[in-house]
Amino acid sequence: MNVPENLKYTKSHEWILVDDNQVTVGITDFAQEQLGDLTFVELPAVGDSVNASDEIAVVESVKAASDVYAPVSGSIAAVNEELESSPELINSDAFGAGWIFKIDLGDPAELGTLLGAAEYQALAPSGD
Amino acid sequence: MNPTQPPFANARQTWAVCFDDPLPYLETQALQERLLAARIADVIPDTLLLLEHRPVVTLGRRGRDHYLLQDQETLRCAGVDVVTSTRGGDVTFHGPGQCVVYPIVSVNDLATGSAGYLSMLEDWAIATLNAYNVHAFRRDGMAGAWTDKGKAAAIGFRLKRWVSYHGMSLNVDLDLSGFDPIVGCGLEGEKVSSLKQHLGKDCPTVADVQETMLSIFEALNQREIDRFSPDQVPNELGALL
Repeated sequence: MNVPENLKYTKSHEWILVDDNQVTVGITDFAQEQLGDLTFVELPAVGDSVNASDEIAVVESVKAASDVYAPVSGSIAAVNEELESSPELINSDAFGAGWIFKIDLGDPAELGTLLGAAEYQALAPSGD
Repeated sequence: MNPTQPPFANARQTWAVCFDDPLPYLETQALQERLLAARIADVIPDTLLLLEHRPVVTLGRRGRDHYLLQDQETLRCAGVDVVTSTRGGDVTFHGPGQCVVYPIVSVNDLATGSAGYLSMLEDWAIATLNAYNVHAFRRDGMAGAWTDKGKAAAIGFRLKRWVSYHGMSLNVDLDLSGFDPIVGCGLEGEKVSSLKQHLGKDCPTVADVQETMLSIFEALNQREIDRFSPDQVPNELGALL
Protein backbone atom coordinates (compact mmCIF):
# COMPACT_ATOMS: atom_id res chain seq x y z
CA MET A 1 0.00 0.00 0.00
CA ASN A 2 1.29 3.42 -0.96
CA VAL A 3 1.72 5.61 2.17
CA PRO A 4 4.05 8.58 1.53
CA GLU A 5 6.40 9.25 4.46
CA ASN A 6 6.17 13.04 4.32
CA LEU A 7 2.43 13.18 5.07
CA LYS A 8 0.31 12.94 8.22
CA TYR A 9 -2.83 10.75 8.39
CA THR A 10 -6.12 10.18 10.22
CA LYS A 11 -7.85 6.94 11.19
CA SER A 12 -10.61 7.90 8.75
CA HIS A 13 -8.12 7.70 5.85
CA GLU A 14 -7.45 11.36 5.13
CA TRP A 15 -3.87 12.43 4.35
CA ILE A 16 -2.55 15.84 5.44
CA LEU A 17 0.33 17.86 4.00
CA VAL A 18 1.44 20.48 6.53
CA ASP A 19 2.81 23.77 5.19
CA ASP A 20 3.25 26.29 8.03
CA ASN A 21 -0.24 27.31 9.09
CA GLN A 22 -2.06 25.66 6.21
CA VAL A 23 -2.79 22.00 5.54
CA THR A 24 -3.74 20.30 2.26
CA VAL A 25 -6.08 17.32 2.66
CA GLY A 26 -7.07 14.38 0.48
CA ILE A 27 -8.08 10.73 0.92
CA THR A 28 -5.56 7.90 0.89
CA ASP A 29 -5.04 5.20 -1.70
CA PHE A 30 -6.66 2.75 0.71
CA ALA A 31 -9.77 4.96 0.88
CA GLN A 32 -10.19 5.37 -2.89
CA GLU A 33 -9.72 1.61 -3.38
CA GLN A 34 -12.69 0.85 -1.12
CA LEU A 35 -15.02 2.90 -3.30
CA GLY A 36 -14.02 2.16 -6.89
CA ASP A 37 -14.07 4.70 -9.74
CA LEU A 38 -15.09 8.09 -8.37
CA THR A 39 -17.78 10.01 -10.23
CA PHE A 40 -18.61 12.96 -7.98
CA VAL A 41 -17.10 15.05 -5.20
CA GLU A 42 -19.17 17.33 -2.99
CA LEU A 43 -16.76 20.08 -1.87
CA PRO A 44 -16.99 22.43 1.12
CA ALA A 45 -17.24 26.20 0.53
CA VAL A 46 -14.16 28.39 0.80
CA GLY A 47 -14.37 30.44 4.01
CA ASP A 48 -16.41 27.83 5.94
CA SER A 49 -15.18 27.28 9.45
CA VAL A 50 -14.80 23.63 10.39
CA ASN A 51 -14.12 21.62 13.52
CA ALA A 52 -11.85 18.59 13.62
CA SER A 53 -13.74 15.44 12.58
CA ASP A 54 -16.70 17.32 11.03
CA GLU A 55 -18.08 15.74 7.84
CA ILE A 56 -17.19 18.37 5.25
CA ALA A 57 -17.07 16.64 1.87
CA VAL A 58 -18.53 13.56 0.18
CA VAL A 59 -16.83 11.39 -2.41
CA GLU A 60 -19.10 9.27 -4.56
CA SER A 61 -18.25 6.43 -6.94
CA VAL A 62 -20.38 4.48 -9.37
CA LYS A 63 -21.52 2.26 -6.49
CA ALA A 64 -20.71 3.99 -3.22
CA ALA A 65 -20.58 7.20 -1.24
CA SER A 66 -18.36 8.11 1.69
CA ASP A 67 -17.83 11.16 3.85
CA VAL A 68 -14.56 13.04 4.15
CA TYR A 69 -13.74 14.51 7.57
CA ALA A 70 -11.88 17.66 8.59
CA PRO A 71 -8.65 16.43 10.19
CA VAL A 72 -8.14 19.71 12.05
CA SER A 73 -10.16 22.81 12.95
CA GLY A 74 -9.85 26.06 11.03
CA SER A 75 -11.29 27.67 7.92
CA ILE A 76 -11.44 26.34 4.38
CA ALA A 77 -8.77 28.22 2.43
CA ALA A 78 -9.19 26.51 -0.95
CA VAL A 79 -10.96 23.61 -2.65
CA ASN A 80 -9.80 21.59 -5.65
CA GLU A 81 -12.32 22.71 -8.26
CA GLU A 82 -10.74 20.42 -10.86
CA LEU A 83 -12.44 17.54 -9.05
CA GLU A 84 -15.85 18.85 -10.16
CA SER A 85 -15.09 17.86 -13.73
CA SER A 86 -12.41 15.21 -13.04
CA PRO A 87 -13.22 13.33 -9.82
CA GLU A 88 -11.15 10.40 -11.15
CA LEU A 89 -8.00 12.37 -10.23
CA ILE A 90 -8.53 10.95 -6.74
CA ASN A 91 -8.23 7.41 -8.13
CA SER A 92 -5.25 8.13 -10.37
CA ASP A 93 -3.26 10.46 -8.06
CA ALA A 94 -4.76 10.31 -4.56
CA PHE A 95 -1.77 11.98 -2.88
CA GLY A 96 -1.18 14.67 -5.53
CA ALA A 97 -3.61 16.08 -8.10
CA GLY A 98 -6.46 14.43 -6.16
CA TRP A 99 -6.16 16.78 -3.16
CA ILE A 100 -9.61 17.90 -1.97
CA PHE A 101 -9.35 21.03 0.25
CA LYS A 102 -6.94 23.25 2.21
CA ILE A 103 -7.54 24.45 5.76
CA ASP A 104 -5.99 27.49 7.49
CA LEU A 105 -5.21 26.07 10.91
CA GLY A 106 -7.26 27.28 13.86
CA ASP A 107 -5.13 25.52 16.48
CA PRO A 108 -1.68 24.28 15.42
CA ALA A 109 -1.56 22.07 18.53
CA GLU A 110 -4.13 19.78 16.82
CA LEU A 111 -1.41 18.66 14.40
CA GLY A 112 -0.07 16.58 17.29
CA THR A 113 -3.18 14.35 17.12
CA LEU A 114 -2.45 13.24 13.54
CA LEU A 115 -0.80 9.92 12.72
CA GLY A 116 2.61 9.44 11.13
CA ALA A 117 3.00 7.22 8.05
CA ALA A 118 4.14 4.20 10.08
CA GLU A 119 1.30 4.54 12.60
CA TYR A 120 -1.25 4.84 9.80
CA GLN A 121 0.14 1.86 7.92
CA ALA A 122 -0.06 -0.22 11.11
CA LEU A 123 -3.78 0.59 11.41
CA ALA A 124 -4.82 -0.20 7.85
CA PRO A 125 -5.72 -3.79 6.95
CA SER A 126 -2.77 -5.75 5.63
CA GLY A 127 -4.57 -8.22 3.39
CA ASP A 128 -2.30 -7.47 0.42
CA MET B 1 -8.86 -6.08 27.91
CA ASN B 2 -8.82 -2.38 28.65
CA PRO B 3 -11.94 -1.75 30.78
CA THR B 4 -12.56 1.64 29.14
CA GLN B 5 -12.68 0.02 25.70
CA PRO B 6 -16.24 -0.41 24.35
CA PRO B 7 -17.19 -4.12 24.21
CA PHE B 8 -16.97 -4.56 20.44
CA ALA B 9 -14.13 -2.18 19.59
CA ASN B 10 -11.64 -4.78 18.42
CA ALA B 11 -13.77 -7.88 18.10
CA ARG B 12 -14.08 -9.74 14.84
CA GLN B 13 -17.35 -11.07 16.16
CA THR B 14 -20.10 -10.89 13.54
CA TRP B 15 -23.85 -11.19 13.88
CA ALA B 16 -26.43 -11.83 11.18
CA VAL B 17 -30.21 -11.48 11.26
CA CYS B 18 -32.27 -13.19 8.53
CA PHE B 19 -35.81 -11.87 8.01
CA ASP B 20 -38.59 -14.04 6.53
CA ASP B 21 -41.20 -11.57 5.35
CA PRO B 22 -40.56 -8.88 2.70
CA LEU B 23 -39.87 -5.54 4.44
CA PRO B 24 -40.74 -1.98 3.38
CA TYR B 25 -37.71 -0.07 2.10
CA LEU B 26 -37.73 3.14 4.12
CA GLU B 27 -38.35 1.42 7.44
CA THR B 28 -35.44 -0.88 6.70
CA GLN B 29 -33.26 2.10 5.81
CA ALA B 30 -34.16 3.67 9.19
CA LEU B 31 -33.28 0.36 10.88
CA GLN B 32 -29.92 0.34 9.11
CA GLU B 33 -29.25 3.89 10.27
CA ARG B 34 -29.93 2.85 13.89
CA LEU B 35 -27.55 -0.09 13.55
CA LEU B 36 -24.96 2.13 11.84
CA ALA B 37 -24.97 4.57 14.78
CA ALA B 38 -24.70 1.66 17.21
CA ARG B 39 -21.83 0.08 15.22
CA ILE B 40 -19.95 3.41 15.07
CA ALA B 41 -20.37 3.68 18.85
CA ASP B 42 -19.21 0.04 19.23
CA VAL B 43 -22.46 -0.88 20.97
CA ILE B 44 -22.89 -3.80 18.53
CA PRO B 45 -20.35 -5.84 16.54
CA ASP B 46 -20.36 -6.08 12.74
CA THR B 47 -23.91 -7.09 11.81
CA LEU B 48 -25.38 -8.35 8.54
CA LEU B 49 -29.06 -7.99 7.69
CA LEU B 50 -30.45 -10.43 5.11
CA LEU B 51 -33.94 -9.79 3.83
CA GLU B 52 -36.34 -9.27 0.94
CA HIS B 53 -38.09 -6.02 0.12
CA ARG B 54 -41.63 -5.29 -0.95
CA PRO B 55 -41.64 -4.05 -4.59
CA VAL B 56 -39.77 -0.74 -4.75
CA VAL B 57 -37.71 1.29 -7.20
CA THR B 58 -34.89 3.13 -5.43
CA LEU B 59 -32.76 6.00 -6.66
CA GLY B 60 -29.24 6.59 -5.28
CA ARG B 61 -28.57 9.69 -3.19
CA ARG B 62 -27.88 11.75 -6.28
CA GLY B 63 -30.92 10.07 -7.87
CA ARG B 64 -31.09 10.58 -11.58
CA ASP B 65 -34.70 9.93 -12.42
CA HIS B 66 -34.16 10.09 -16.20
CA TYR B 67 -33.41 6.39 -15.78
CA LEU B 68 -37.06 5.96 -14.72
CA LEU B 69 -39.00 5.08 -17.86
CA GLN B 70 -42.48 5.39 -16.27
CA ASP B 71 -43.73 8.21 -14.11
CA GLN B 72 -43.79 7.60 -10.40
CA GLU B 73 -47.59 7.77 -10.20
CA THR B 74 -48.00 4.95 -12.75
CA LEU B 75 -45.54 2.82 -10.78
CA ARG B 76 -47.30 3.52 -7.47
CA CYS B 77 -50.65 2.54 -9.00
CA ALA B 78 -49.02 -0.77 -9.96
CA GLY B 79 -48.01 -1.30 -6.31
CA VAL B 80 -44.37 -0.31 -6.76
CA ASP B 81 -43.03 2.33 -4.40
CA VAL B 82 -40.43 4.85 -5.63
CA VAL B 83 -37.98 6.22 -3.06
CA THR B 84 -34.68 8.09 -2.91
CA SER B 85 -32.16 6.13 -0.88
CA THR B 86 -29.11 7.37 1.04
CA ARG B 87 -26.89 4.82 -0.72
CA GLY B 88 -24.47 5.48 -3.54
CA GLY B 89 -25.11 4.08 -6.99
CA ASP B 90 -27.92 4.53 -9.47
CA VAL B 91 -31.52 3.35 -9.87
CA THR B 92 -32.50 -0.24 -9.09
CA PHE B 93 -35.49 -2.45 -8.31
CA HIS B 94 -36.11 -4.63 -5.25
CA GLY B 95 -38.93 -7.10 -4.73
CA PRO B 96 -39.81 -10.46 -3.21
CA GLY B 97 -37.55 -13.26 -4.48
CA GLN B 98 -34.41 -11.14 -4.23
CA CYS B 99 -31.79 -11.76 -1.52
CA VAL B 100 -30.80 -8.34 -0.15
CA VAL B 101 -27.74 -8.11 2.13
CA TYR B 102 -26.95 -5.05 4.22
CA PRO B 103 -23.58 -5.43 5.96
CA ILE B 104 -23.19 -2.91 8.81
CA VAL B 105 -19.47 -3.59 9.13
CA SER B 106 -16.29 -1.76 10.01
CA VAL B 107 -14.56 -1.79 6.63
CA ASN B 108 -11.16 -1.21 8.27
CA ASP B 109 -11.33 -4.55 10.05
CA LEU B 110 -12.19 -6.75 7.08
CA ALA B 111 -9.42 -8.90 5.68
CA THR B 112 -9.89 -7.46 2.18
CA GLY B 113 -6.69 -5.39 2.18
CA SER B 114 -6.11 -3.05 -0.70
CA ALA B 115 -8.52 -4.88 -3.03
CA GLY B 116 -11.25 -3.09 -1.14
CA TYR B 117 -14.77 -3.46 0.10
CA LEU B 118 -16.41 -3.05 -3.32
CA SER B 119 -14.29 -5.89 -4.63
CA MET B 120 -15.23 -8.08 -1.64
CA LEU B 121 -18.93 -7.54 -2.39
CA GLU B 122 -18.36 -8.62 -6.00
CA ASP B 123 -16.41 -11.70 -4.90
CA TRP B 124 -19.22 -12.55 -2.48
CA ALA B 125 -21.93 -12.39 -5.15
CA ILE B 126 -19.87 -14.24 -7.76
CA ALA B 127 -19.01 -17.05 -5.33
CA THR B 128 -22.69 -17.33 -4.34
CA LEU B 129 -23.80 -17.75 -7.96
CA ASN B 130 -20.97 -20.20 -8.59
CA ALA B 131 -22.12 -22.23 -5.57
CA TYR B 132 -25.30 -22.97 -7.56
CA ASN B 133 -23.26 -23.81 -10.66
CA VAL B 134 -24.14 -20.56 -12.38
CA HIS B 135 -21.03 -19.12 -14.02
CA ALA B 136 -20.62 -15.51 -12.88
CA PHE B 137 -17.97 -12.92 -13.55
CA ARG B 138 -16.91 -9.25 -13.27
CA ARG B 139 -17.20 -6.76 -16.10
CA ASP B 140 -14.80 -3.82 -16.27
CA GLY B 141 -16.35 -0.55 -15.19
CA MET B 142 -19.72 -2.22 -14.43
CA ALA B 143 -19.56 -3.33 -10.81
CA GLY B 144 -21.78 -6.24 -9.83
CA ALA B 145 -21.98 -9.94 -10.63
CA TRP B 146 -22.70 -10.79 -14.25
CA THR B 147 -23.82 -13.99 -15.97
CA ASP B 148 -24.17 -14.76 -19.67
CA LYS B 149 -27.87 -13.85 -19.36
CA GLY B 150 -27.28 -10.49 -17.64
CA LYS B 151 -26.52 -8.94 -14.27
CA ALA B 152 -27.64 -11.08 -11.32
CA ALA B 153 -26.36 -8.96 -8.42
CA ALA B 154 -26.32 -5.17 -8.00
CA ILE B 155 -24.25 -3.12 -5.56
CA GLY B 156 -24.85 0.26 -3.90
CA PHE B 157 -23.44 1.20 -0.51
CA ARG B 158 -22.54 4.07 1.77
CA LEU B 159 -19.77 4.53 4.33
CA LYS B 160 -20.02 6.67 7.47
CA ARG B 161 -16.96 6.79 9.74
CA TRP B 162 -15.80 3.81 7.64
CA VAL B 163 -18.71 1.66 8.68
CA SER B 164 -20.75 0.38 5.72
CA TYR B 165 -24.48 0.34 5.27
CA HIS B 166 -26.74 -0.51 2.32
CA GLY B 167 -24.99 -3.17 0.22
CA MET B 168 -26.06 -5.63 -2.41
CA SER B 169 -29.04 -7.46 -3.89
CA LEU B 170 -28.89 -10.84 -5.62
CA ASN B 171 -31.79 -11.98 -7.80
CA VAL B 172 -33.06 -15.43 -6.84
CA ASP B 173 -36.56 -15.98 -8.25
CA LEU B 174 -37.53 -12.33 -8.48
CA ASP B 175 -40.06 -11.28 -11.15
CA LEU B 176 -37.58 -9.62 -13.52
CA SER B 177 -40.31 -7.53 -15.18
CA GLY B 178 -39.89 -5.27 -12.14
CA PHE B 179 -36.78 -3.91 -13.89
CA ASP B 180 -38.72 -3.01 -17.07
CA PRO B 181 -39.62 0.54 -15.97
CA ILE B 182 -36.01 1.46 -15.20
CA VAL B 183 -32.57 1.53 -16.79
CA GLY B 184 -30.96 -0.57 -14.03
CA CYS B 185 -27.87 1.14 -12.58
CA GLY B 186 -28.08 3.55 -15.52
CA LEU B 187 -26.63 0.92 -17.87
CA GLU B 188 -28.59 1.20 -21.10
CA GLY B 189 -29.20 -1.98 -23.10
CA GLU B 190 -27.92 -4.31 -20.37
CA LYS B 191 -30.11 -7.22 -19.21
CA VAL B 192 -30.78 -8.43 -15.69
CA SER B 193 -30.87 -12.10 -14.74
CA SER B 194 -31.66 -14.33 -11.77
CA LEU B 195 -30.83 -17.76 -10.42
CA LYS B 196 -34.31 -18.86 -11.54
CA GLN B 197 -33.56 -17.89 -15.12
CA HIS B 198 -30.52 -20.18 -15.07
CA LEU B 199 -31.81 -23.03 -12.90
CA GLY B 200 -35.55 -23.22 -13.60
CA LYS B 201 -37.29 -25.61 -11.21
CA ASP B 202 -34.00 -26.30 -9.43
CA CYS B 203 -33.81 -22.70 -8.22
CA PRO B 204 -33.09 -22.51 -4.45
CA THR B 205 -35.26 -20.56 -2.00
CA VAL B 206 -34.22 -17.12 -0.74
CA ALA B 207 -33.67 -18.67 2.71
CA ASP B 208 -31.26 -21.19 1.18
CA VAL B 209 -29.39 -18.41 -0.64
CA GLN B 210 -29.19 -16.37 2.59
CA GLU B 211 -27.42 -19.29 4.32
CA THR B 212 -25.10 -19.80 1.34
CA MET B 213 -24.20 -16.10 1.42
CA LEU B 214 -23.43 -16.25 5.14
CA SER B 215 -21.12 -19.25 4.66
CA ILE B 216 -19.31 -17.53 1.80
CA PHE B 217 -18.93 -14.30 3.80
CA GLU B 218 -17.33 -16.37 6.57
CA ALA B 219 -14.85 -17.93 4.15
CA LEU B 220 -13.99 -14.66 2.37
CA ASN B 221 -13.48 -12.70 5.58
CA GLN B 222 -12.10 -15.48 7.77
CA ARG B 223 -14.71 -15.16 10.52
CA GLU B 224 -17.61 -17.01 12.03
CA ILE B 225 -21.06 -15.48 12.06
CA ASP B 226 -23.61 -15.86 14.88
CA ARG B 227 -26.99 -16.26 13.16
CA PHE B 228 -30.23 -14.95 14.65
CA SER B 229 -33.88 -14.80 13.70
CA PRO B 230 -35.51 -11.39 14.32
CA ASP B 231 -37.38 -12.60 17.42
CA GLN B 232 -34.29 -14.10 19.10
CA VAL B 233 -31.60 -11.44 18.81
CA PRO B 234 -29.16 -10.36 21.55
CA ASN B 235 -30.43 -7.52 23.76
CA GLU B 236 -28.14 -4.93 22.14
CA LEU B 237 -29.85 -5.60 18.80
CA GLY B 238 -33.33 -6.14 20.18
CA ALA B 239 -33.34 -2.55 21.38
CA LEU B 240 -32.76 -1.38 17.79
CA LEU B 241 -35.01 -3.63 15.69
